[in-house]
Order: sequence, then C-alpha cells, then structure tokens
Amino acid sequence: MDLAVQRVLRPGSFEEAVRVMAEHPHALPIAGGTDLVVQLRDGRRAADVLVDLSGAGLAFITARNGVVEIGGATTMDAIANSREIRDACPALAAASRLVGAWPIQCRATLGGNLANASPAADTAPPLLVAEASVHLVSADGDRRIQLSELFSGPGETCLRPGELIRSIMIPTQHLQRTVREGFAKVGPRWEQIISVASLAHRFELDADGSIREARVAVGSVAPTPVRARAAEQFLAGKPPTAAVRREAARHLQDDISPIDDVRAPAWYRRVAVSVLLDRALTEAADG
Amino acid sequence: MARDRNRTDKPGKGVTRRGFLGTVGAGAVAAVTGLPRPGEAVPEITEPKGMVETALSINGRMHRLLVEPRWTLLFVLREQMGITGTKIGCARGECGACTVLMDGSPRYACMTLALEAQGHEITTVEGLMDGEELGDVQQAFVEEDAFQCGYCTAGQVVAAQGLLAANPSPTVDEIRAGMAGNLCRCGAYVHIFRAVERAAKGRGKGGGR
Repeated sequence: MDLAVQRVLRPGSFEEAVRVMAEHPHALPIAGGTDLVVQLRDGRRAADVLVDLSGAGLAFITARNGVVEIGGATTMDAIANSREIRDACPALAAASRLVGAWPIQCRATLGGNLANASPAADTAPPLLVAEASVHLVSADGDRRIQLSELFSGPGETCLRPGELIRSIMIPTQHLQRTVREGFAKVGPRWEQIISVASLAHRFELDADGSIREARVAVGSVAPTPVRARAAEQFLAGKPPTAAVRREAARHLQDDISPIDDVRAPAWYRRVAVSVLLDRALTEAADG
Repeated sequence: MARDRNRTDKPGKGVTRRGFLGTVGAGAVAAVTGLPRPGEAVPEITEPKGMVETALSINGRMHRLLVEPRWTLLFVLREQMGITGTKIGCARGECGACTVLMDGSPRYACMTLALEAQGHEITTVEGLMDGEELGDVQQAFVEEDAFQCGYCTAGQVVAAQGLLAANPSPTVDEIRAGMAGNLCRCGAYVHIFRAVERAAKGRGKGGGR
C-alpha cells in the first residue's frame, strides 16, 4: 500500500477541480486510476496530492450540432454502450471494449487513457481517424487542440501544469453506406493486454469499390499513436486489390518507428500492423 | 468466506486461524514465525501521513474509520477492517482476485483508493451471503465445482455477480468476455463459465435474489 500520496482532494464540481489544480501545481488528477495507481505504486509517476475527478461532472456523452462530445471522465464501458458513439465513431466503441477487461472498462476513462499518453492507448487511433479535438481547461483559460497535438512522446503530453482534459469532441461523420470503419489490435490474448500493435481505419468508398479517402491511425508502433499518412496517400483513389494491399503495407512502414520491448520485437510489430491494415482493406473490399 | 466474520461477531462459535492471529496478537506470532518484533527496525516504505476521517458503506453497513489517503480500498478492507474475503493477487489490476462491487459494477479494489470509495456502496464476497446461506452465485460455484485452490474464487464470484446484474441472461461468449478480468491459475475456467450459466438460469426461474 506504498503509494507516496499524502492528500486526496475531491472537488465537487469542474470549476472547483480547476481551482484546486491551480492551487496545487504538482497535483495529479485521478479519474479511474487504472494506469495512475499502478504507476504510483511502481514509482513511475509521483504526486503528493491527487485530485479525484469522479465528482467533477466529467462523465457525459452529448450529441449536438454535428459533434459528439465525451466528458474526460467518461468510462470505457459507457463509451462502448453509447449509441451516439457507435454511430459517430464505431471504431472508438470497439476499442473501448478492448481496453483491459470489463472491470477495467467500468473504471478507466477516456481522458485518462489520453492523458496517460501511452503509445499503446487503444482509444487514440480511432480518435485520430475521426480527427477529434480536445477541450483543455486551466485556471488561466481554455483551449481546443487537435488530438494529434496532445501527444508529445511516450507518457508525455502538451498538457500544462494545472490543465485538465474537460472533453473530447468528435465531428459526426455523414453516415453513408460507403464508409467502412473499424479498430483491431494484436496481443497475446483478447482481454487484459497492452496492444502489441493496433490500427483504426476509416475508408470512404466510391461506387466502384475503390477508396476515395483513406484514414489510418496506428498504435504501439511509434513514440505516440500516429496517423499513417504515407499509406493513406497511397491508398487514395485505388481499389483494395491484393497488389494494392501489399503496396500499402510497404508504405505503412514509412509511417512507423517501432521499438523492441518486453511485449514484442520491432520486426514483429511491423508485420502485425501490416496484417491489420491488410485485413481492414480486405473487409472493405468484401463490403 | 463470511463465516470467518460471523464467527468473530459471535464469540463461542469456535476458533478460526484469523481470529486466533487477531486476538493473540502480532507479538506472539512474531515469536513463533520470526516476523519483526516490536522495537525492531521495520523497513519503512513511505512516512506515515495524516489520517483522514471517512465513512465507507460496505455490505450495507456504514463504517466510520480513519484512513491514510494513500491506502487502497483493498488494504483498508483486509488490514484495517478484517474483511478478508477480498484477496490480494497482482496488486496492479490484472488478475481480478480483489474484485469488489462498487454501486453494483465490478471494481479492482487494489487500484481504488479508499477515499475514492466514499459515497459509494461497496459489496465484497461476504456481502453476497444471505445470513448463513450462500448467495445464488456462490452456491452455483459450489455445485459446478468452479474452483480448485480457491484463491481467485472470491473475485470470480463477485465479478459474476456484477456481470449478472448488468446482463441477467448472458450468452457463453458474453460470460467469457464479462469474466475475462479474473484469472484462474488452476484453469477452472470451464467450470466457472458453467457456474455463471447455472446462476443465470436459476435467476431466470425466479430462484435468485
């Protein structure tokens, strides 16, 4: 029980949480704690003061004006069950169901998954594909950034001291039959694993089945979750034939920079993420 | 499971290992087992910090107690309150041995700070008892022989309880997914899934509570 924590503050509103964070610049916000408690115990992160966001009113999902907004402390379970999110970003709903196992999903939050900034964060590739933005609030004011700007390295974000993730905003896609979207990950088993490689895709198809626009984002194969721009550009305007799929996998190698670690060697990650892209393209071709 | 607590609640019902250790005291045990004796240097991991008064609702009873902010719910349940049905496994949210229900959904007590549990209803495996009778999920685990060493069982039973609350008639695949956060080193999974199925069927017939 050796967490080096001396105080836990429990603000009753978001405004109070922002104020408390300003008063304690070295405090860490805690929501689900599924990453943070383990890191505090292992000494990988340290904080004298935790600010518990569970009472700050940050668990919500709203859909209006073409935007689905998800509060920072919304759980994976709530996201996976949300009709709004299954409609607007099915890949995010699928990814939320693959974070840890169900007890983790009942507790882990979207804001926490992003703020933790793991290269393997499963919710990041779907949100990158959806071109989501993040609403950040501190006592000094608020700002809205693209999710791609949030991550600055493994475990590192551009969050300023005292700044909280209030919500994540997803532009609602025009729901067309011709859009194919999904998320897949590779690991030793389905549940309770950290992704060895993950991939989210959104393909908009033309009437003849070729790809009008491709969006692909990958996790666990670079210092942060990233969009696969080279593969996307190659795929635009092409039909997902076997030859195109092979060539797309080659272009994907330029988008990534995987490393060897305890979970997998870099070469395996290159193969695995290529297979994920190939499967996504094959499914798109099969309709 | 809950028997231990009930025994300590009602003196004269016999001696339990846990009750014995609790009443005889750590000093006597230390003399036998070679644990650090009072006055001996005990390695300090973190300086003890100020206690905070809190009130936790556990198994339908309100408990007022002093906790340190760094204490997890698991530590408070086991070491401060003696509610030891909830087990310590990996202590990092991977194995599920410490699963409790918080407002009816499964939580890993090892990664929940005790202070976070304020204002929520906590249910441990002891709370699934109906007096001296086993709850329906517990009974199903016994009937299906859904354990071998039993160490993960408290967590498995509580997780199953949470699963059936959210999904009263799960398919086999839904049971497998719902129970995926609870590991069993003995590999009793097939029996565990059958036990959850049995409990679900029992409730369908109006046999559960």
